[in-house]
Amino acid sequence: MEDILSKVIDVAVQKFAVEYAEIRAQKLFKTMLTLKEERVEAAKQGIENGVALRVLVNGAWGFASVGTLDAETLISAVSDACRMAKAASSRLRKPIKLAKAEAVEDKVSMKFGKDPSKISIEEKINTTLSMSKTILGYDSRIKSCTIDYLDLTGTTWFMNNEGTCIEQDKLYVWSRLLATATKAGIFTFSREEIGSTAGYEVFDVETPEIVGERVAKRAVEQLDAKPAKGGTFPAVLGPNVVGVFVHEAFGHLAEADLTLSGSILLDKLGKKIASKLVTFYDDGTIEGAFGSFEYDDEGVPTEKTLLVKDGVIVGLMHNRETAKKFGVEPTGNARAEDFRFEPIIRMRNTVMEPKDHSFEELVEDVKFGYYFKSFRGGEANLDGTFQVGIQEAYEIVNGEVGAPIRNASISGNTVGTLMKIDAVGKDFELNPGRCGKGQTAFVCDGGPHIRVKEVLVGGSA
Amino acid sequence: MVALRQEEMQRLAEKTVSLAQTRGADEAEAFVYQGLTTNVSIERGQISKSSRIIDRGLGVRAILGKATGFCYTNILESEAAIEETVLKALSFAKASKPDEDWRGLPSKKAFSSVEGTYDDRIVELNSEELVEVASAMLDAAEKIDKRIFPIEGGAGSSYLCKAVANSNGVEGFDHGTIVECSLVTIAKEEGKVTPICFEFDIKRKYDINPEWVGKEAAGLTVSALKAKRTETKNIKVIFTQFALQQLLQYTLINAVNADYIQRNQSAFKNKKGEKVASEIVNIYDDGLFDGGLRTWKFDGEGVPQQKTPIIEKGILLNYIYDNYTAKKEGRESTGNAWRAGYLSTPSVEATNFHIIPRNKSPEELISELKDGLLVYYLQGAHSSNPVSGEFSVVATPAWKIENGEIAYAVKGAMLVGDIFQVLMNISELADNERKIGQLISPWVCAENVKVIGK
Repeated sequence: MEDILSKVIDVAVQKFAVEYAEIRAQKLFKTMLTLKEERVEAAKQGIENGVALRVLVNGAWGFASVGTLDAETLISAVSDACRMAKAASSRLRKPIKLAKAEAVEDKVSMKFGKDPSKISIEEKINTTLSMSKTILGYDSRIKSCTIDYLDLTGTTWFMNNEGTCIEQDKLYVWSRLLATATKAGIFTFSREEIGSTAGYEVFDVETPEIVGERVAKRAVEQLDAKPAKGGTFPAVLGPNVVGVFVHEAFGHLAEADLTLSGSILLDKLGKKIASKLVTFYDDGTIEGAFGSFEYDDEGVPTEKTLLVKDGVIVGLMHNRETAKKFGVEPTGNARAEDFRFEPIIRMRNTVMEPKDHSFEELVEDVKFGYYFKSFRGGEANLDGTFQVGIQEAYEIVNGEVGAPIRNASISGNTVGTLMKIDAVGKDFELNPGRCGKGQTAFVCDGGPHIRVKEVLVGGSA
Repeated sequence: MVALRQEEMQRLAEKTVSLAQTRGADEAEAFVYQGLTTNVSIERGQISKSSRIIDRGLGVRAILGKATGFCYTNILESEAAIEETVLKALSFAKASKPDEDWRGLPSKKAFSSVEGTYDDRIVELNSEELVEVASAMLDAAEKIDKRIFPIEGGAGSSYLCKAVANSNGVEGFDHGTIVECSLVTIAKEEGKVTPICFEFDIKRKYDINPEWVGKEAAGLTVSALKAKRTETKNIKVIFTQFALQQLLQYTLINAVNADYIQRNQSAFKNKKGEKVASEIVNIYDDGLFDGGLRTWKFDGEGVPQQKTPIIEKGILLNYIYDNYTAKKEGRESTGNAWRAGYLSTPSVEATNFHIIPRNKSPEELISELKDGLLVYYLQGAHSSNPVSGEFSVVATPAWKIENGEIAYAVKGAMLVGDIFQVLMNISELADNERKIGQLISPWVCAENVKVIGK
């Protein structure tokens, strides 16, 4: 494989005189299952080989993606990519330059625990079927469930004209459980995701029974939930909501491409943007976590990037292009979903650091407010408005967690809300998820329980 | 990479089906997909990138008894790879569990004829020409106002082809084109940033208007400056097509999906013939709409696409079906099987979800509101409850309407409710129909929507 790739790079450099050239190749294999109730819709697998070529010519990017590893086709793709770059450069105002990255030669062979490619499809069907059975057996008001399963294994290669050559093993295991319950015209919906880069042993911890019950219990409890009030209230956020809040409300704005696009963080670097209790990281090094990897898709090693320390924004997430603009080192955040996409700045495992409060201490001072425990979707905007949908919440009345609340969401201004965090818990939880930014990235987010003095609650009561 | 020709794609599909049968499949289906896409991208105020993506592959469904196995591959060059794919689909069918409701693959039917879905000029568009399109759009936007900053966007063209064959004699080929340009902008003033605003034009034929997109995007952004908080109360809301599309794809479109109905996940179960919307509401799932973004001769499993009445005069008439969900009820598929190219098995999806317009211009709609909100886009629509249709989202950008005129931009306003209530409360539809994703719709005005301002 290395021979073919280096030949392609040579052609780019010698024949087209590119300023920069990189080639990413993949040989990946997927297994997928969808179960609806206890019915296996289809047992599915797929083979995806392909190559992505990216070149910098006259300061503009050209990109070509082809679903083949055939040398001749790749060489003709180089000329495609160069032609693309030349066309794009015709109206260029400021040429693109890249920060230096050390040349790396490495082969990352992962030591997988339970390699999913060695586990039979029958066993995978049994695992997902146990999830279904647990959910449907939990309560007669559960009317349906959908289980999706995916594992992805294989190898990727990265090579550029600066001497970097990396071969990496890839492994992802993922599953999503959806359950619905109904009672007298009320419909509830509950969701959980499991994701790991360690191996199939994730199901030894998050067993079908444990996760199945968690999903089912929520769907049933929500049947008796009442709508939240609309307006501004104090709130305690659970780790699952804190994670997605850090990811959506802050994380996207700290992706340096979006910061440069005008996110509200651009003129706040080095300044206080949050309560002093707030410290955020984006960490690609957590072993086995869904957002972890060794090298990013520009061949830059991953790292633990400090973003906010004690309320002050100290860092952003970079690729080589934005790192050059800010005069800093790239942080290893350039990721591409697969060979069909260019690498862009993505989060990895984005977390808030725990502090010292117990859950009881967080709740006890709240006279009336809400405990937002689990999220369903969230979205950021460059003006700093965030929205996080909530699938599980409770009232807090006189310092105690009370009745369940349904289908609320929280919103507000990122900086305003970060400033209003007045207590941070000592627990910690990391949750896997998938993030969309024109392409999908596997990530984790997490943190402790926290308390916010006030947040806007979208409730219908 | 040389593109596959029609005959090659069809032959590959047919050959794969007979190979699967020879190797022991009781039924088999092959779906061959090819997409050629050229894009020119704007990033942070300049055109700086262009890409060419060629993606093609083959997906095989093999059925043994009542159990289905599926395998896809994007290696089409060798016979061995095709054979391996067939064998893998078969081995997974063997390992899978029988589905008692399986009643076989679709049988052969004449395909529908469609108009306005293919244009040679789009196939021939190259990156140099797309740079001109993107550039015209960018220039038009920048002329409007100095405060705007185009953060992303661009121009792109795609040529998509699909071929299908199955063991019941279904065989077909269709191809189509899409060209689009879009611009996302923000504006800054006195340290304040607007929410992201955007405009686009997307067509199956080469008649997009990049200058219009640039001007509209910039104009919209400037008018989103100086946003204020609004009060909490129930008022009339005008949803533009962007906002509607986001809301409906996570709620109403699921509610008429036969898979949701059959699995007790829809409030529309057993509601056929009942009033579910205001009587001015008429909705069709129109897989044959002239130039529709999802108009094709046949769906993801070779069933002819069709026009299905969903709601007429507020009365619920039909659900949408693929082959599996239709046969489960002993009826015919409505041609709503959707596939993610060669990568997935079919699932039920809307084609062109067409909300029929009425006579008033959007300006008239606004002029008739004493107190209302014009909502362009929703933040967080995907967090809606897909089963109950309940939503709790942020309206952004949005404008307050007072005494028939746009008064000011609103920030941070949340909209809360459920889609079924909104349908009942629709009081007017404008005449400004446009296509966005699976939706074809005008602006829609609904009464009594809860807005949470602060």
